[in-house]
Amino acid sequence: MDAKTIAPDQKALKVVGTRPVRPDGAPKVTGLARYGADFSLPGMLWGDILRSPHAHARIRSIDTSKARALPGVKAVITAADFPEQKYEFVGPERVAINYWHMTRNVMAREKVLYEGHAVAAVAAVSRAVAAAALRLIAVDYEVLPHVIDVDAAMAPDAPLLFEDMITRGIEPAPDKPSNISKRVELNLGDIEAGFAAADEIVEMNFKTAPVHQGYIEPHACLARFDSGGQGELWSASQGHFVVRAYTAQLLGMNIGDVLVHPAEIGGGFGGKTVIYVEPVAAALSRKSGHPVKIMMSREDVFKATGPTSGSSMTVRIGVKKDGKIVAADGLFKFQAGAFPGSPVMNATMCGFAPYNIANVRSVGYDVVSNRPKSAAYRAPGSPISAFAVESTMDAVAVRIGMDPLKFRLANASRTGTPTAWGPKHAHEGYAETLQALLDHPAYQAPLAKNQGRGVASGFWFNNGGESCATVHVNEDGTVVVATGSMDIGGSRASMAIMAAETLGIAYDRVRAIVADTASIGYTHVTGGSRVTFATGMAVVEACRKVTAELCARAAMIWKVDREDAVWEDGCARHVDKNDKGKSTGKFEPLSLKAIAAKRAVTGGPIVAEAAVNAGGAAPGFASELCEVEVDPETGSVKVLRFIVAQDVGRAIHPSYVEGQLQGGVVQGIGWALNEEYIYDDAGRLLNAGFLDYRIPVASDLPMIETIMVEVPNPNHPFGVKGAGEVNIVPTMAAVANAINHAIGRRLTELPMSPPKVLAALDSGAKG
Amino acid sequence: MADAPARVVLISSLCGHYTGGAKEFEIEAQTLYDVIRELDARYPGLGEHLEDETSVAIDGEIHEVGYYHQLRPGCEIFFIPKIEGG
Repeated sequence: MDAKTIAPDQKALKVVGTRPVRPDGAPKVTGLARYGADFSLPGMLWGDILRSPHAHARIRSIDTSKARALPGVKAVITAADFPEQKYEFVGPERVAINYWHMTRNVMAREKVLYEGHAVAAVAAVSRAVAAAALRLIAVDYEVLPHVIDVDAAMAPDAPLLFEDMITRGIEPAPDKPSNISKRVELNLGDIEAGFAAADEIVEMNFKTAPVHQGYIEPHACLARFDSGGQGELWSASQGHFVVRAYTAQLLGMNIGDVLVHPAEIGGGFGGKTVIYVEPVAAALSRKSGHPVKIMMSREDVFKATGPTSGSSMTVRIGVKKDGKIVAADGLFKFQAGAFPGSPVMNATMCGFAPYNIANVRSVGYDVVSNRPKSAAYRAPGSPISAFAVESTMDAVAVRIGMDPLKFRLANASRTGTPTAWGPKHAHEGYAETLQALLDHPAYQAPLAKNQGRGVASGFWFNNGGESCATVHVNEDGTVVVATGSMDIGGSRASMAIMAAETLGIAYDRVRAIVADTASIGYTHVTGGSRVTFATGMAVVEACRKVTAELCARAAMIWKVDREDAVWEDGCARHVDKNDKGKSTGKFEPLSLKAIAAKRAVTGGPIVAEAAVNAGGAAPGFASELCEVEVDPETGSVKVLRFIVAQDVGRAIHPSYVEGQLQGGVVQGIGWALNEEYIYDDAGRLLNAGFLDYRIPVASDLPMIETIMVEVPNPNHPFGVKGAGEVNIVPTMAAVANAINHAIGRRLTELPMSPPKVLAALDSGAKG
Repeated sequence: MADAPARVVLISSLCGHYTGGAKEFEIEAQTLYDVIRELDARYPGLGEHLEDETSVAIDGEIHEVGYYHQLRPGCEIFFIPKIEGG
């Protein structure tokens, strides 16, 4: 691996920054790891879900009598088996939850809103009987006109998904319903004055295809209800506490009556922060009295689970001849899918965030259409707006004859730069990623015919929030670290590393686990690149409580004042608090193992827990360099070289962080070149499988080269910034800019698949 | 009491519903709790909205809304949309 680390402030750390063997590696490669579909119970039934064949239809009636009469069928449910929910948006704007929508997404009521929308479900003694029962359910549909494209969905004569939906965010409110759920607008400075002062203005239109997160593991859940009405679930998700809360709400239960066990997860990328099969399996179990397992097929995943939004965008940037950007204007229209809630707010906030621009306007529309409801996908919203902004930035650099990296560097945001959403940036890191690429020899290397080089940048917030951790010292001095964070990207390893560093013991003396919802306090989802930062803070805090307790136990053993014991290098050491804390040499240091052996006589088990609501999560910046070769005969684009430079704060386990950087880029390359949903005229998906929905595989790609820029975050004990998401943000624009450099054609619509590249070559329109 | 009031800005577009469009305030406060209570006193219901539906940037550092945040004199406070990642 050609990896490089730039660490301007590398402290002497013994465990942080090392690359120990991952604790989940052996179970995964030997098949012992237990994913959501791997759990079974005695008496278990198989659940299956009947899905709509129509993109948009009114449900006149559902007759389940024949299915219920089929031998082996133990329960049949429809939306009538779930309590109605109040129509209200609760929670934050960006992710406002409306349970009236959520229950209808889990099981359709008045209408089906996309092909694959769940209509009914059965539980039976075998998968074959369940499938046969589904075929006996008679649904009488009134098929309605449908709309999928976002621009078409915003048209005045578009078919309406909800006949009473009035756009939020417009004053006064519109008097007619539409598919536009919400309008958002951010402003900074005086946009008109900014453009009036510009020497050059570039305006471009863009469209991006909706893409799926492409996780390898389909959704699966096992549910069991006991006779007392308490439910228990085993499912792979990005947050078992969220699964618990949503499932309880949709079933009309108390949160405390639902226990969720975390399973290993085969990828999520944001798509498993929501629920689909969990309340259905639970409702079938409650009705049948048996445990029920539901496993989605790949086709189910494509047709019925959240992709990210497709979009239609316009970006206008005004610049002085010397390269100073004076105004930027963005219009971002996002598909939300069947229910409101696209990440368009994020898109409006992130698009221009890397830059110091005095005058900014950023407008977004959240638009429903007949597709599965969108779900989060890796820095949700930001990659989409970045494709438009960073492509336009490249066109501006070409227009004024300026190097594209130096153009970005000249306008880079720094500490104190105001943002379009209000606050000033509080952290550095962006300019360092640009400089890393400028300094890379690849940037000036010669290119052959039909080859091109492109660069782009991106911004993502990174999150903090609520997390819990518990640290137990075992009898032999080994340590268990339990957290409530699902491990998707290697968090068990990073938690063990941070615990080992704080306790001063070896990595292999620490075992990190993910605890179920009854065994640890509330912990927010594994998403937003928050876990190493926020849950890591909880782990460090719990370990510090443990070292304080260990010192107290040592002081008891030595019969000295508590203040005369300190924890250094994994041992309690006797010092003289009255002599500047100098070591006395009176007592041999006591190791964690030695104190653990005396736990009973010094007070019992040594355990500590910590709960945090972590703030001060520094944002992530990434800059990327892509080299491509375009085949002018076929329009095929081959990525020859890709370098990602990302500010990661501090890499706790560098191999995992490099993997995050590479993974984000690979997903971005798929988004850029190949991935799209293909529908027929009736709104039915034609490519619901990995043979026809083309995600990149290893043979499509060069080794993704990583540069981990480390500008430590002072708000974290080890300087951590989130590392999992911003890497995908610049990728599509970097590829597009490289294609433009290679063939002189600027592609503005994703995916940039061979037919589109050929069409651009044939058009003669220079980029 | 703080030497200089905090500059408080409401970015969340939904706040206009409570404030009649007012977005920027100067509030003397030592903690974020003081800010939220003062805004709620002026615009009943706004406090709960801020607690449940926004994040807060204090001098640029983004936090979950919490009563316990200490404020320096003259600090800048922006209530912004919560961010949810993937």
